[in-house]
Amino acid sequence: MAGLLRVEDIRKSFGPTRVLVGVTFDVGAREVVGLFGPNGSGKTTLANIVSGLVPPDGGRILFDGRDITPLPMDARYRAGVARTFQIPDPYPSLTVVESIRVALLCGRESCRKRFGMKDSSPEPAPTRWEEELESILVRTGLFAQRFWPAAKLSQGCLRRLEFARAISCRPRLVILDEVFSALSAKDESELALLMRSLHRKEGISFLLVSHNPLILEELCDRVVAIEDGCVIWEGTPKDLAKHVPAANHAHDSG
Amino acid sequence: MNALLQVLLDGLLTGASYSLMAAGLALILGVVKIVNLSHGAFFTLGAYVAYVLHQRGVENPAAAVLLAAAVAFAFGVFLGKSFINPVRSHPFSVAVGTLGAALLFEQVAQLAWGPHPLSIDGGRALVLLPGVTVRAWGLISLAASAALLGGLSLLLSSRFGLPLKLIAEDEEVAGSVGMDVAKIRYLTFGAASAVAAVAGVLLAPTGAITPTMGRVPLILSLIVVIASGMERIWTIFLLGVGLGLFSNLCAYLLGPEWSYILLLAAISVLMILRPEGLVAILPARDYR
Amino acid sequence: MFPGGRTTGALGAASGILLLLPLLGLDPFLLDVLTVGFLLAVFAGSWDLVGGVAGQISLGHALFFGSATYACAILTSLYRWPFPAAAAVALLFSGAVGAAAGALASRLRGPFVALFTLALGELAHEVALGQAFFSPKEGYSWGGEGGIPVSLPWVEASPWAGYYAALLFLVLSAFAMLRIARSRQGLLWTAIAGSELNAQASGVDVVRHKRRAFLASALFAGAAGVGFAAHVGRATAADFSIELSFQAATCAAIGGRGTVAGPVLAALLLHALFQGAGLPPATRVLLYAAALLATLRFFPRGVAGTLRERARSRKMVS
Repeated sequence: MAGLLRVEDIRKSFGPTRVLVGVTFDVGAREVVGLFGPNGSGKTTLANIVSGLVPPDGGRILFDGRDITPLPMDARYRAGVARTFQIPDPYPSLTVVESIRVALLCGRESCRKRFGMKDSSPEPAPTRWEEELESILVRTGLFAQRFWPAAKLSQGCLRRLEFARAISCRPRLVILDEVFSALSAKDESELALLMRSLHRKEGISFLLVSHNPLILEELCDRVVAIEDGCVIWEGTPKDLAKHVPAANHAHDSG
Repeated sequence: MNALLQVLLDGLLTGASYSLMAAGLALILGVVKIVNLSHGAFFTLGAYVAYVLHQRGVENPAAAVLLAAAVAFAFGVFLGKSFINPVRSHPFSVAVGTLGAALLFEQVAQLAWGPHPLSIDGGRALVLLPGVTVRAWGLISLAASAALLGGLSLLLSSRFGLPLKLIAEDEEVAGSVGMDVAKIRYLTFGAASAVAAVAGVLLAPTGAITPTMGRVPLILSLIVVIASGMERIWTIFLLGVGLGLFSNLCAYLLGPEWSYILLLAAISVLMILRPEGLVAILPARDYR
Repeated sequence: MFPGGRTTGALGAASGILLLLPLLGLDPFLLDVLTVGFLLAVFAGSWDLVGGVAGQISLGHALFFGSATYACAILTSLYRWPFPAAAAVALLFSGAVGAAAGALASRLRGPFVALFTLALGELAHEVALGQAFFSPKEGYSWGGEGGIPVSLPWVEASPWAGYYAALLFLVLSAFAMLRIARSRQGLLWTAIAGSELNAQASGVDVVRHKRRAFLASALFAGAAGVGFAAHVGRATAADFSIELSFQAATCAAIGGRGTVAGPVLAALLLHALFQGAGLPPATRVLLYAAALLATLRFFPRGVAGTLRERARSRKMVS
């Protein structure tokens, strides 16, 4: 299968603790892959490695056939691999519009050229630029809060802002790290809708990291389960509970 | 040759007190989780307390140590409670504020005692070899520093050190088991400041007492803490002594101003070479 | 992007008043105080570019100021360069120092940037203090506390000329710095100051933009240094002193970090107040430190910063 992302034999240790011991999996184009694992299984570390925040000790990451292992997080974002954080860390003094503008400005080289921008040019904002910004605000449902400082946003809006930032580079892959945790049921279902429409309309692939099997069953095409730093199972979401004991427990309790 | 030997001996004696000061800084870094630029001012405070007592005819080092520790503890608790605790999550306020507190103290000291170097007598000289002498105060400072450092390390590994360790590891857990984290923070700040002042008393006779004398030991203890981390008190001791020797040697071979210059160069190079190593010292969410 | 019109208006009004002040019969001493105040205001504004807007706490900012004054002094007095050429090279030199310091400091974060720049500034100060670094010429030695004279093309400039030149320099620099702070570059710097992690996840090359912040800031600080050298006619070790760096950071804290206009005005007002009252240097540093601690404790966002916050929340409601 011609994968969009290939994660190959990734290894990582923090001091004496081996967090990941040779993880390999693929994410196809227009595919939603769930990454399941109980707490402490190394899935957030894996998300950090795939997004470029943390360098791996060994192994490599191929994106669209290109080895992106040496690229830092900002370069991967410009190349089309975006991510959200489990705990959003917004710019406290910037408004929603300004925060998204930062991502648009640096989004990707080709995007910059398309809008005829140079970093030094002081003000002129082409109309298409503003259109893009507005469309992102509308799609993520942040239009009403666009002039709010990010520090005053609610938890649900912060997650939307994370989505907005992630899609500003017109990514091909978005890594969602526990994006549905600690949200109200309403926020959760709205964000799930948002994710689905982004997937359907724009063909973005998602790597959905979660410890909640119910969410993965609902949203994913395929699930990769990891435990103790290895892939223990891979298959369709509805078989997850059958084959992975940890998912079963979560099922019962949740 | 004997002059060099004298320099090395003095370096050894002073280095012990420097490591005492560095241990205080490490304590603040671990428990309060800030880089404290006012640590040198407490050192200076100790030296001036020793000077004032000496002027009044009190020759007993123990009196100076106790008085300096008490005064510095009071000031430290005041600074920690009224300033450090409320602003400690803002790196800008902490960095500029502690520097401001240090400069404030320097100016007060200058107004009170003048900018000119003062000195106190280090006691009777004991001739070991021709040209190599050791003064009573030097031996006292070595013994006192080593004893205090040992005591500190014992205290930290005992029952009393447990809350500090817990806060250093995870303050949320510490708060959730009912510890008054804020109080422990400012008390620690006060105690560490007292330790710095004691180091200042112990080193007062070895050099000139000036309002800005605290800058060299501040940089020196920052180097110690950055290079050794905060875990092992013995590496702090060895590094402190090593840097004390180094700075005395620089002063002797190149001139007095060079020890400060080379220490500054050393800390710059250290930070350039280990930018990631520094991140490990402070937890991520605290240095944004 | 930022509420802009009012700040510009306030600055315009302030400079209008300053333009007229000498005509009201200010004595030469106060004229001199204000002239130096204008230069220090630019210096404080330049601090705010890197320390406020970009959030990289620089405690060695005098390094860039002193690089420029010393370059002016050494080139004109030791190498007999004409002053304008020396001024241009001094400006470039301070820019180069800023680029170098930025290249090294941009890999560090938070308090360690402060510590590193502090060490660099103190290093320069100590080196400048050391007598041995400048050889005696024409029978007497230069350097140390006394510093090096800057040989200027004019014998005695009128205090009026100096006043208006410095005022013009302040207005132009403040305008330029405000423009930069409100440009896209300024937006990216504000983002980095807010959250480096989020900026990185938004595709911002954090290290590169931090380097640029140091460079831009050093250029303005260097320009202030060149102006200072031209006005005072001497470069001394105090130009590198930690007190000078601290003064800039203090003015920024009081005026509101990241607003540029606030630090500029705070620097001008405080300098005019303390110096105009004829306070000795020790007392001035003491007052700056006390004002800083009070501000940080009770108005963590500074005066201008608090005002901007209020403007923001009004806008949010409407």
